[in-house]
Amino acid sequence: MDHLTSETFDANARAALNDAQLRGALKNATSLFGKRRLAAAHSVSNWEDLRSEARRIKDETLLHLDKYLEQFTVNAEEAGAQIHWARDAAEANAIVKEIAQHKQARLVVKSKSMTTEEIHLNSALEAVGVEALETDLGEYIIQLAGETPSHIIAPAIHKTRFQIADLFVEKLGIEPTDDVVMLTATARRVLRQKFAAADIGISGVNFGVAEAGTILILENEGNIRLTTSLPKVHIAVMGIEKVIPRFADLEVFLKLLPRSGTGQHLTSYQSLITGTKRAADGEGPDELHIILLDNGRSKMLAHPTTRQSLACIRCGACLNACPVYQQIGGHAYGSVYPGPIGAVITPQLIGLKKASQLPYASSLCGACREVCPVKIDIPELLLHLRAEITEGSEVRDERSEPVKRKTGERLAFKMWAAVMTRPRLYEFSARVGHLLQGFIKRGNRIGKVGGLIGRLAPPLAAWTGTRDLRPIEAKSFRQQWRSAERS
Amino acid sequence: MMDRDHQSAIGKRQSPIKVGLFVTCLVDQLWSSIGTSTVEVLRRAGCEVEFDERQTCCGQPAFNTGYRREARQVAERFIELCEGSDAEFIVSPSGSCTAMVHHYESLFPDDGAWRARAHAVAGRTFELSSFLVRELQLTDVGARFTGKVTWHDACHGLRELGVRNEPRTLIQHVRDTEFVELENSDACCGFGGTFSVKYPEISAAILEQKIEAIERAGVDAVVSGDASCLMQIGGRLSRIGSKARVMHLAELLASQ
Amino acid sequence: MTNTSREARDAILQSIQANLAASEGIVHTDHTIVPYRGELLRAGASLSRTEKFRERLESVGGYCYIVKSEDEAARALSAIIGELQSKDAAKRIALSDAPLVSSLARGIAAEEIDVCPLPADLFNYDVGMTMAQAAIAETGTLVLAAERERHRLVSLLPPVHIAIVYSRDIVDTIGDALTQLRGDATGMSRAITFITGPSRTADIELTLTVGVHGPKELHVIVIEAASEAS
Repeated sequence: MDHLTSETFDANARAALNDAQLRGALKNATSLFGKRRLAAAHSVSNWEDLRSEARRIKDETLLHLDKYLEQFTVNAEEAGAQIHWARDAAEANAIVKEIAQHKQARLVVKSKSMTTEEIHLNSALEAVGVEALETDLGEYIIQLAGETPSHIIAPAIHKTRFQIADLFVEKLGIEPTDDVVMLTATARRVLRQKFAAADIGISGVNFGVAEAGTILILENEGNIRLTTSLPKVHIAVMGIEKVIPRFADLEVFLKLLPRSGTGQHLTSYQSLITGTKRAADGEGPDELHIILLDNGRSKMLAHPTTRQSLACIRCGACLNACPVYQQIGGHAYGSVYPGPIGAVITPQLIGLKKASQLPYASSLCGACREVCPVKIDIPELLLHLRAEITEGSEVRDERSEPVKRKTGERLAFKMWAAVMTRPRLYEFSARVGHLLQGFIKRGNRIGKVGGLIGRLAPPLAAWTGTRDLRPIEAKSFRQQWRSAERS
Repeated sequence: MMDRDHQSAIGKRQSPIKVGLFVTCLVDQLWSSIGTSTVEVLRRAGCEVEFDERQTCCGQPAFNTGYRREARQVAERFIELCEGSDAEFIVSPSGSCTAMVHHYESLFPDDGAWRARAHAVAGRTFELSSFLVRELQLTDVGARFTGKVTWHDACHGLRELGVRNEPRTLIQHVRDTEFVELENSDACCGFGGTFSVKYPEISAAILEQKIEAIERAGVDAVVSGDASCLMQIGGRLSRIGSKARVMHLAELLASQ
Repeated sequence: MTNTSREARDAILQSIQANLAASEGIVHTDHTIVPYRGELLRAGASLSRTEKFRERLESVGGYCYIVKSEDEAARALSAIIGELQSKDAAKRIALSDAPLVSSLARGIAAEEIDVCPLPADLFNYDVGMTMAQAAIAETGTLVLAAERERHRLVSLLPPVHIAIVYSRDIVDTIGDALTQLRGDATGMSRAITFITGPSRTADIELTLTVGVHGPKELHVIVIEAASEAS
């Protein structure tokens, strides 16, 4: 299936706005998540302190990321894990394929991992004849549908149970039903067989503890526990920003992440895995491979503003709070990471040129910053990227190709600055505007502007498509002030 | 963000407080009654109001679109104007413009001197309701308005300046006014500056939620502290022929 | 580590160092983030650790039985199994290798009661019984340490999980549990699982469904030894 790309964001968004069913689903989901998050934040007496502490830990870690990654590696290896480093998606996939080939694996079970989506791991495995089966219910559903996730936490949020039912009937041959319990039971039944048969289990990592070499993975369903305990080999794909210094640091993140993501005090399961089992006959995999993935992350360290992108703990709270996401959903962003955080990390991961629309697709309302458990100032990041797009990035590399200069807009703002730094010219321009608006003003407002004028001044057409516009007044405030002063 | 060098117990003073009005380009040209109302309210509060006619714009449109060079040029002029004024406070009927002034520092990453000047000016610049309630400790400005009103929390004022209780307190002291809370009063109206014309369909979709809440509230007026939000909301209310109108807080507080 | 991996490691570490160095000279103005002003928690009635554990566990759909001795625990266990058997849901019972579990299970009659069945067989068991090495009161969480007991799969595969824990092993907070785990003199367990209630999902239309891949029911028997204050 052709997936939407960030380059066609504008068109993607318009299509999403016309999808009434999607908008209904988004409205329900985001408002429910939002309410639950708020209630959960209120269930502790020190929510703001937790946020500050979490951000402090992340800042401390990022400023010494190399040191903590090395410490993590030493401790994980000491406990029997095999650490691999991957500069990009291709290297990461090559490592997974090599392990799979070495183990002669035919079937891999996967738990939900945004990082593995980012590197398109499933298609890389399929290309070498390895079946990669998603076991998280939401991910399983979209895998069956040949789609990509539309939300960081609830990948199938855009689908109704009727659509899911039809999908199961078509792909799994079940009797038609739209009973959610029955649908879930079907998925459970189908997937259970696969866990037992899988050669390799692949997961992501929520946090990697440097001082212990431990990886922690959170979930509600139990598929991560199954994925990481039944198959003989466990591969964990970990973005380099996931490392935190101390075991004790886990507490603050365990308090923030579930509450921010789903409104739970804690998810049903946390798996804390350190290396491999001590006893050969113990339960669990014989091998643990941890792949440390860069794929553009280290570059984000180059500026204090972009560095905070790496503090993200992938809770999804910003998506639910975002007025734009609430209207258009995740697919429109054309990226693994949608919503506010997606709008700032996607351009940094795939390049400003390809994702140049995303930083502009925001009203800068700041709701995302308000709900972010680690206090990422997303509006600041959006503004930073907008400046990079118009004025050029300070960080030059093969990925930040220059974005096509919008000459019309550039010229307009040059003129704007020339006018705004000259008060008399500003006043004169406004009076000219007042005169010219006679062509489009009807009564005391400006209605829909179309035709030639609309084409000459697209912003005017864009505004008046759905909204009336206040005209420039006959007597400006300053003119009235002057008159009052004279008398 | 702001250095509090000033005494807040201004009420105890003998001489009137000198306030420099930062009227904003939008209000100046498109909504002068917000400007005249602001002056009226400040005078009633015991302030001496000056207006420096050399002012133009805070620079938001350029800054928000990524044109920092142009924004800087405008910011430098604004800073110079403020430095030339001996007014203790610079007050604006716009949360977003005030927030922009508070962002000026970030326009000068390579110039410590300008940064310090920007910081100083930001410390003197206040949004209207915040100035009245927090600085002057004034909650009743002697206003009267007959009607049912609700309040829309403009995003920048709310989330960058922490303005939430102040306007509500002021409105609650307006005689004959029935105040109701708007559902999701803190939800964005969808303006977002150039966003409203770069992505007009998304802007309209976001706006629709606000309009529906307003219609459900059955109010005579939606009040807010930012002319840009009022333009967005009012523009749609007008297009659909709603009986609700928009009103700036200053206009409400100036009513008698 | 392969050569490519070593090369990648060096490159990544170098990239991190170079980018951090580049960021050092850059002035960054911190914007104060206005905190959300809403009502925060009002301190609730203070509960004992055990009571708090029960309250939290029940709030996520788990069942909690507080008993005063091993004998009472055995009786509680019989009652749970009896209830399940009336629904034909406890024909085959799997036990972990904890001695207490076997001892408590002595009083139960079922078609099959086996200690640590093979994983492939475990899929067909109805009930799994284990202990928990510790529990967390503030969240109603069980802490299972894989090297202290063979219970990783017994607690996961059967649709019903019954866990026994001593009240003296309940700690107040997540932080306390982490400290305790880390401070384990015999070496921190290589696989630790935190369990808070039954397995669940809301992936279909946000409708909560209990019992997806993990157990659908969680029963926890807390044994309060007579001599302790809880």
